[in-house]
Amino acid sequence: MTVDWPGAVVTRPVPARVGRLRETLALVWQDRIGRIGLILLAFTAVVAIVGPIVFPFDPTLVGKSAADILKPPSAAHWLGTDELGRDVFRSTLEGAQLSLIIGLVATAISIVVGASVGIAAGYRLGLTDRLLMRITDFFLVLPTLPLIIVLAALFGQSTVILVLVIGLTSWPSTARIVRSQVLSLRERQFITRVRSLGASDVRIVRHHILGNVLPLIFANTVLIIAGSILAEATLAFLGLGDPVHVSWGTMLHFAFDSGATGRGAWWYILPPGIGIVLVVLGFILAGHTLDRILNPRLRER
Amino acid sequence: MFRIGYLARKLAIGALTLLAVATFNFILFRVLPGNPIQLQARAGNLSAEAVARLRELYGLDQPITTQYLIYLRDVFTGQFGTSITFQRPVADILAERLLNTLILLAAATILVVLLGIGLGIVAAARRGSRVDSATVVAALVFWSLPTFWTGLILVFVFGVYLHMLPVSGVSTPGLGLTSPIASFVDLVRHLILPTITLALVDIGQFVLITRSSLVDVLTEDYILTAKAKGLSRRQVVLRHGVRNALLPVVTTTALYVGLTIGGAIQVETVFSWPGMGRLMYDAVLRRDYPILEASFFIFAVVVVVANLVSDLLYQVLDPRVREA
Amino acid sequence: MQRHGSRDGEKRFGGLLVALILGLAACAPNATPSPSSSGVASAGPAASGASGPSASVAPSAVAPSSASLKVGWSSEPDTLNPLTTYSTEAEEVLQLVYDKLLDYGVDLSVEPGLAASNEYSADGLAITYHLQPNAKWSDGQAVTSADVKYTFEAIHKDSLGQYAQWLVDLVGVDTPDPQTAVVKFTKPQAFNPGLTIPILPAHIWSSKDAKAIGAFTNPTPVGSGPYRFVEWKKGESLTLKRSDTFWGPPPIAGQVIYVLYANEDVEAQALKNGDVDILTEVPPTIWDGLNGADNVKAVSLPSFSFHHIGFNLSTAAGSKGNPLLKDKTIRQALSNAVDRNQLVQLALAGHGKPGDSIIPIGLTDWHWAPTGDQVMDANPDKAKALLDAAGYIDRNGDGVRESPAGKPLEFRLIAIQSTSVDVRAAQLFRDAAAAVGIKLDLTTLDENTLGNTVYNKDTPDWDIFVWGWDSGVADPDYMLGVPLCSQIGGNNDVFYCDKTYDALYAKQASTVDVAARKAITDQMQQKYYEDAAYIVMWYQDKLQAYRTDTWGGWTEVEGGLVFNFTRDNYLRVFPLK
Repeated sequence: MTVDWPGAVVTRPVPARVGRLRETLALVWQDRIGRIGLILLAFTAVVAIVGPIVFPFDPTLVGKSAADILKPPSAAHWLGTDELGRDVFRSTLEGAQLSLIIGLVATAISIVVGASVGIAAGYRLGLTDRLLMRITDFFLVLPTLPLIIVLAALFGQSTVILVLVIGLTSWPSTARIVRSQVLSLRERQFITRVRSLGASDVRIVRHHILGNVLPLIFANTVLIIAGSILAEATLAFLGLGDPVHVSWGTMLHFAFDSGATGRGAWWYILPPGIGIVLVVLGFILAGHTLDRILNPRLRER
Repeated sequence: MFRIGYLARKLAIGALTLLAVATFNFILFRVLPGNPIQLQARAGNLSAEAVARLRELYGLDQPITTQYLIYLRDVFTGQFGTSITFQRPVADILAERLLNTLILLAAATILVVLLGIGLGIVAAARRGSRVDSATVVAALVFWSLPTFWTGLILVFVFGVYLHMLPVSGVSTPGLGLTSPIASFVDLVRHLILPTITLALVDIGQFVLITRSSLVDVLTEDYILTAKAKGLSRRQVVLRHGVRNALLPVVTTTALYVGLTIGGAIQVETVFSWPGMGRLMYDAVLRRDYPILEASFFIFAVVVVVANLVSDLLYQVLDPRVREA
Repeated sequence: MQRHGSRDGEKRFGGLLVALILGLAACAPNATPSPSSSGVASAGPAASGASGPSASVAPSAVAPSSASLKVGWSSEPDTLNPLTTYSTEAEEVLQLVYDKLLDYGVDLSVEPGLAASNEYSADGLAITYHLQPNAKWSDGQAVTSADVKYTFEAIHKDSLGQYAQWLVDLVGVDTPDPQTAVVKFTKPQAFNPGLTIPILPAHIWSSKDAKAIGAFTNPTPVGSGPYRFVEWKKGESLTLKRSDTFWGPPPIAGQVIYVLYANEDVEAQALKNGDVDILTEVPPTIWDGLNGADNVKAVSLPSFSFHHIGFNLSTAAGSKGNPLLKDKTIRQALSNAVDRNQLVQLALAGHGKPGDSIIPIGLTDWHWAPTGDQVMDANPDKAKALLDAAGYIDRNGDGVRESPAGKPLEFRLIAIQSTSVDVRAAQLFRDAAAAVGIKLDLTTLDENTLGNTVYNKDTPDWDIFVWGWDSGVADPDYMLGVPLCSQIGGNNDVFYCDKTYDALYAKQASTVDVAARKAITDQMQQKYYEDAAYIVMWYQDKLQAYRTDTWGGWTEVEGGLVFNFTRDNYLRVFPLK
């Protein structure tokens, strides 16, 4: 899906290889909305990396008495305290790391699987293609959240399982995009010629196809990161997260569980949520601009 | 309309998909090591009688293929087993809850379609203006909101702070309302916040889709021709643009029902809406695997049906398209 | 959703315990009398009731109203069949629909129920109940002694449900006339089973065999109680309405409606909004949010619940528990490391008392408390010293101690995910253990799985758990009887087995003299405390809340306004508008 919005970069023919990251970033920066996205992402990255160093979170630093629980913001605790009397500001910073890491790693898995499937299907064609596409379509039909819930419920709540589950449920879209691009590339003259010269499949894939496919999925990847972060937050909120480590999702889970909503503890509910919104928004804005830049003519199949 | 052959083919594919889902479920819940049935059977503190009952019920000492066939037979005759928590047939529990979820999905779909498409049209018509910018930015922000968090905020504002709207359940208990109008009003009041929450995220998506497909259409030649003929901008947009842009929007709407299941689960949890989504949440808390299995299957059915409807609508609206 | 750790055995014995206390002053000659425990009405003559139209349900000066009393809860009954249920919510509803022969008043004294009076035979082997003359079932038929006969004998014959253990010695029930039932036993019964067993209509139940009863959900219960079942919209609400054929003074509330909320946060909101009139139980942080809200009264009542940490001491060949835990030193070190007051403050938001012995402080006359050096609490230095002396040192500098053989002191800790107080306590416990060099890996499970994991007699695969006992009243005999060798495979969740302990138990069970018996029970409590198979974390308060502007006449009873043994509050409250 291409999104055309005010201030969007005017379309221009895409060179066969948009090799340089810097060039792409510059293009994104020029776009008004893309710029906002990049700023948000940079901001989040800084907060996630630097925040816990400057303001480390000690989960054992609990309150002394019942009066320390769910306290509103004060000079001592800028964002108040949670249900064990711990500092919400610091745990928000800490939670950023896990939320982002899970999102990124899950996406990496998703891209690797999706691209592999897409390339294999598009390149080999025939039975492989049909089989892989049936599997892909099957996974596309399965409702995502119920699937993730069922998998997490069956296989456990560790961070590793979460990452795997999220990653293994979001690859179909990548597979489809990759496949269609591979299909169109396949027919191009230079591929046919190279093949007739006797180059092996692997070589062809590596040298000619990957380079053309990667920029394409780049935009889609960014959207998948956003989706993965949301997925982790949702799973954690529903109680399927790792209870030992702090993430934005688990913070919201404990907030809900300890009655923060009814208590009016907005300081516990807003920060993790706002964090999620900012990160996801950043990826979405940047992702859409990327999509616009890299695939100006592409229509959804 | 459309050829029977086409319809039959689509139905067959739908049925096959459901079969695949059932098989998938079977593998997850009955075959993989550490699956719930195994766990139950090896719990170590079950009476011999209970173990025998399990064996009989699930055919545990039969070959895998027999178990598979038994499983399929059960699923397609609606026998989803007994809930561990409620000790009642899962099918009964599902039946009670499904309607509530459908009501919520229907209300949200209406809201999303009306607002999403409406705003999308406005934005497309005023492409490039500040209204357009604002709408798009708002749409993108909405798209980034986690559904459950939005729900929490709304509960907070409208329930805790303002006391304006009910924040849980489907009806106010014990009112003893006899008039159907009063009951309906009560239902609507309870429906407001959950529907808004569920719709908000997707309104964003719809605005963007509508806008972009409308924008594409608006630049096509025959539109330019219409303009050249002197039709007012409004006429151009409405008469030619919308009708042609309607296609992707309508089919997306049908797909929407399937896409919004995840949101429904979150909304039902936050607002205590007694539907299938909350049932799934409660089942996860208690690891009630029969319910989890069955809800997953039913949700898959909903998606398959929605996709089918979408495909058929596509056929109806655009008879130029033939299945390749 | 939340059951706060109430367990099958617990619910089963809940009524037994009260009965035990109050019935101990029975006429039976060799019954062991108990000292009156503060907070529980002393066993007066009403207990065994030679006769006794003592306080019947007080006729109220307020006329019956058509108003509905709305009760909010966050979990629904599992079934409406009294013979198969184990849920507190089900019992709450069933106690209004069915009657017992005797009942508890609002001050927890014994009152007539379906039996207007009862007396023991001279040899204590039989109890004769005289039924209320005008008792009717909600379908119009009269309640007769045949119903008592059916109920008691059916439960006994097929060992049905949680009431079976009180009828273990039953011989049979004679029915000389429709108003008289003579219940005969092989041994004198120190407690009166009439206090706990709901009487069922024979004309509806007698056609069912045991298997049918097991499968029967009793969708439209027919009882003789003050309220009749109207409907149950599963997942939403359950409605009862006042019975016009109740044998006692009619309750004032025209209807009682139980409303289900997804969680306690939402139900607290509902109470604040006025959607319900009272909540059955709320967790600490949410209760704090209700305290001081407009037109809401939040009450904190003494309860007899305690939550604890338990260690896997199983000696079964197939046990997969970490063998290091069999060393008392490690358990004692952990007991010293835990700061129970901190747990109360943070996990319970202050609503409870630090725990020590397995007999709660609510039973003041029986509770033993450690003193001086006996105390193991909030003492990480002592914990470290204990571990050092026993050779558990951190040999490789990773912050975790190892045994002399090199095995790290690392254990698995499990808690119930939906019991947030336990999850918080587990987190704090883990931190306390880490501070003294012991690593705990925390996982949270759903209640069923935890129960199945822990109560696995042959192959228990766990190390440490956090759970609770949630009874109405804890009699020393009951709780002390849990860690018996004979209870392995039964209530004994930590597989504790000690011959000395068992011998003491047997002795106190037959010691008549109160002071002598207390000396023994003190000894037992001390032994169990020092053996640290349990670390009792706290005795929590029962937290409830109700609206002050809708219904009046709530009497605060130990154990709770509702969700308690007595149903009197339901019968007495009157609308304020």
